[in-house]
Amino acid sequence: MINAEAEPATLAGRAGDAFSQFRQGQPDAMADLVAMLTPILWHTVRAQRLDATTTEDVLQTTWLSLVKGADKIADPRSVLQWLIVTARREAWRVSRGQSRQTPQELIADDVVSSEESPEALVLRSDTERVLWNHISKLPDRCRELLRVIAFSDRPDYAELAQSLGMPVGSIGPTRGRCLAKLRSSLTTDARWEPR
Amino acid sequence: MTTPNPAGWEALAAEPMDDQDEATMKLLAALYEQIDPVPADLVERLQFAITLDALNAELAQLQQLDALASSGARGVDADEAKTLTFTSESLTTMVTVTAAGPDRVRIDGWCAPVGGVTVELRQVNASVEVQADEDGRFVFDDVSHGLTRFVVRSAKPSSRPPVITPAVEI
Repeated sequence: MINAEAEPATLAGRAGDAFSQFRQGQPDAMADLVAMLTPILWHTVRAQRLDATTTEDVLQTTWLSLVKGADKIADPRSVLQWLIVTARREAWRVSRGQSRQTPQELIADDVVSSEESPEALVLRSDTERVLWNHISKLPDRCRELLRVIAFSDRPDYAELAQSLGMPVGSIGPTRGRCLAKLRSSLTTDARWEPR
Repeated sequence: MTTPNPAGWEALAAEPMDDQDEATMKLLAALYEQIDPVPADLVERLQFAITLDALNAELAQLQQLDALASSGARGVDADEAKTLTFTSESLTTMVTVTAAGPDRVRIDGWCAPVGGVTVELRQVNASVEVQADEDGRFVFDDVSHGLTRFVVRSAKPSSRPPVITPAVEI
């Protein structure tokens, strides 16, 4: 560490700083935190296959829980982990109340070949389409893990994997099973051009 | 199953991540941003949901949105007026938005039933509060364009919860 005053290098660190500021009486810091963490939390909940409206409800409940229980979080630096755990739990609670997954979501993920799926059509590059094809073939738990932590920074991976209920060592600092499976799968594909 | 060479990935799993892995993860985030983008105004809605007002407020609904060419005497420069009506259980609020110079607007409003209310105009980086007069009329004469909501509070403490409108583009 050359400069301890520098802005933290990782998403979890920046989130911890903003949350500390909020607890020290700066209400605007909470708005910053929402802006900073909405992408990763959106993908955390959407990975549970909830529709967009339900996802928004889940996220709103999650943030309200944080505001109302801000004093109960022992270490501000763990706020991102806390939010991910809370959002997943709430998503799980809500999805038990919904009778079934919607047919579209089942089709998109499980039935149609991923390269022909509507999702793949929006992708800009061949590289992305190849990656989508391979990520679609991973087990659900691996796909969820990689999808969520992709929105954080490398030093956060290990802690976030734990928040997602994955065992220690599932990713970071080593590749772990999920990323290794993806890499192995990609390297067998002649169309894959690592950057 | 989908892994042609199990021994291959097991060895890979124990190796440290490298720059290529990091590039793959960045690409993965870009991919999910395209496939399942965060709705455009979700952050704004969530930020609002956690403000103290929102925790116990009465939420108004937007009733109508009329764009009317003003019949004012300014000829070709006739301003375009936009009238919005918000209703909730205890209150109706009507606002008319007219242009007031480059990139500025004037807002004339009225709310009923009358009786000592303050009206706050809230934008992303700004908040202005005015007192409605005895007829329930209020004016914000110099407002920038943008996503805007109104918060109407009774001057009498604890008489009723604040009323909050949805955010509208003005």
